[in-house]
Amino acid sequence: MADKPRVAIFDFTGCEGCELNQLNFEDQLLDILAHVDIVEWREAMDGHADEYDIAFVEGSLSTPDCIQRIHEVRRKAKVLVALGACAVQGGVNAVKNTHPIDEVREEVYGQDKYLFPTLPALPLSSVVKVDYNVRGCPMTQIEFLKVFTSLVMGKEPVEPEHSVCVECKLKENECVFERGMICLGPVIRAGCDAQCPSVGQYCTGCRGLVPEPNLEGMEEILVSHGLSVDEAWKRLELYNANEVEGVRS
Amino acid sequence: MVQLFLESDRVAELVAHLMKQKSVFAPHAKGRKSFAFEEVKDPSAAVLDYPRVMHSIRKFFFPPQETLMTFDLKENTCSVAETPAADAIFFGVHSYDLGAVHRLDYNFSEGNPEKNYIARRQGAVFVGVSYKPDEFHFSGSVGIDPYDTAGFDIFLTKLLDGYIVEALTPVGEGLLDGIELPAHEAGKPARGHFQQHIYLPQAKLGQVMDGSYQNEVWDDTAKKCVGCGTCNLVCPTCYCFTVEDEVNVQVTGGSRDRRWDGCMLRDFSAVAGGEVFRETLAERQRHRVFRKFKYISDETGQPWCVGCGRCTACCTAGISIVNIINRLVGDYEKVAVTPI
Ligand code: SF4
Ligand code: SF4
Ligand code: SF4
Ligand code: SF4
Repeated sequence: MADKPRVAIFDFTGCEGCELNQLNFEDQLLDILAHVDIVEWREAMDGHADEYDIAFVEGSLSTPDCIQRIHEVRRKAKVLVALGACAVQGGVNAVKNTHPIDEVREEVYGQDKYLFPTLPALPLSSVVKVDYNVRGCPMTQIEFLKVFTSLVMGKEPVEPEHSVCVECKLKENECVFERGMICLGPVIRAGCDAQCPSVGQYCTGCRGLVPEPNLEGMEEILVSHGLSVDEAWKRLELYNANEVEGVRS
Repeated sequence: MVQLFLESDRVAELVAHLMKQKSVFAPHAKGRKSFAFEEVKDPSAAVLDYPRVMHSIRKFFFPPQETLMTFDLKENTCSVAETPAADAIFFGVHSYDLGAVHRLDYNFSEGNPEKNYIARRQGAVFVGVSYKPDEFHFSGSVGIDPYDTAGFDIFLTKLLDGYIVEALTPVGEGLLDGIELPAHEAGKPARGHFQQHIYLPQAKLGQVMDGSYQNEVWDDTAKKCVGCGTCNLVCPTCYCFTVEDEVNVQVTGGSRDRRWDGCMLRDFSAVAGGEVFRETLAERQRHRVFRKFKYISDETGQPWCVGCGRCTACCTAGISIVNIINRLVGDYEKVAVTPI
């Protein structure tokens, strides 16, 4: 193989739960490192790199400084991969976008609010071009490995577009609706191997909506299973406020 | 046909007797109120009284996920996995699910025979059981009776206190050798009534479907449908799949895998270059229903839906294939009697 790809890892607004070191990658970490050179990673090393082949970026953009930094990353990276719900769709952070921004600043920073400029929490793709996504909260490990090996091989990673229900059915799980729960799986993107329903939990939508979701249809499903209209939309907003707000208003 | 009698509390004994001859797969309770076909380990865990299993026995001949081949990127070689024959007894199968297997036999052997399916089907023995139709079954409307013994080696008909046992093939007779069962003298009880019906006489199926392409039912259904694909994945006569290559993290090799796929899913109808040839949920729903009641039916003269009711029972949006067909029939009748 030619020179190893140079990799840089960045974090923006998020809990840093997605970054590689936080995941149980012990088994695969050495294999991963064998294929790339990590040239910048604030959490694990000092220094800055001027150029890299692949940038993995975690977190949403929520301050003017974030916007400036992401442009810089984009300029230096050949390939930019968004890691986790915050980077891909704004994530839980974006729930704040459903409230007036001044109220949010006051709530979080109190009287110091003028010291902390804040913007609505945005996915990376609303500011720069994102080449690939690794979804989930925290990001889905199996998907990270798939995207990673595809990039190392110079292949185009395939992003699933079908619903979590498909993976649930492949495993012959009992649908959690049968247990009186309410699940967002029908409109959420697969790729996590239906992680939550497989252990008897409902899907909260961390991997984002399927393309062209029928959200009115999903609202009807949630309401017919006992939620109020408002609860239904709140449930949908938890991880997907940016997309859901657009449809609802 | 000799009819024998099996008391309810001897079912486990019969299962144990069968297990001495071949592996036995039977319905088991799974989750809070569901049932799934699994290999029997404990004869008393096999369930005969159940409304429907989550996946039909299709999953044993056409598994949800399977590896077609593995490859080695260093040596540049590949090896195709051997597909073992089922060679087992499927105990407690409902008539519509065996009807679905017969339809898959057609789909997987016409044209390009599908060698994995055909290999897995070898040595499969079927023991059927009658059932009481629930609020979703409508097999009667597609010509499959709850007592339909076609294709079974042994059939059990439910009575109040036990089952009538009939061996229908030499294989079935052989399996019952060595278990003492008394003769059953009285006839079969009346079958349970269906609560669901499609009002589509088989002879008119073609005509009704021919005039249905532009029907408004497709758009109306699409307002509620969220395109989750569940109705495809639970259908015992759906046979679509997709194939993907997976490479290991060492980038030294990997596998070519296939899994069930379905026409309600957007990525199923997407082709290279990003074009999606059935863009809307209305087009996809029409395609699904036409696959069950028109396209293959035009070829074979038979509905390709077996009336199991799974797609309706599992649709969280409450979309009912029975209601869709009945609306098409209603509109056809209206059109047919309206003077031009
Ligand atoms: S549990 Fe959720 S994801 Fe699974 S089939 Fe039911 S609705 Fe779909
Ligand atoms: S099931 Fe839903 S909430 Fe759970 S990991 Fe998958 S996408 Fe996220
Ligand atoms: S199960 Fe229901 S909501 Fe899901 S694709 Fe089928 S018809 Fe649509
Ligand atoms: S279309 Fe629905 S009712 Fe008919 S065989 Fe398939 S799942 Fe069963």
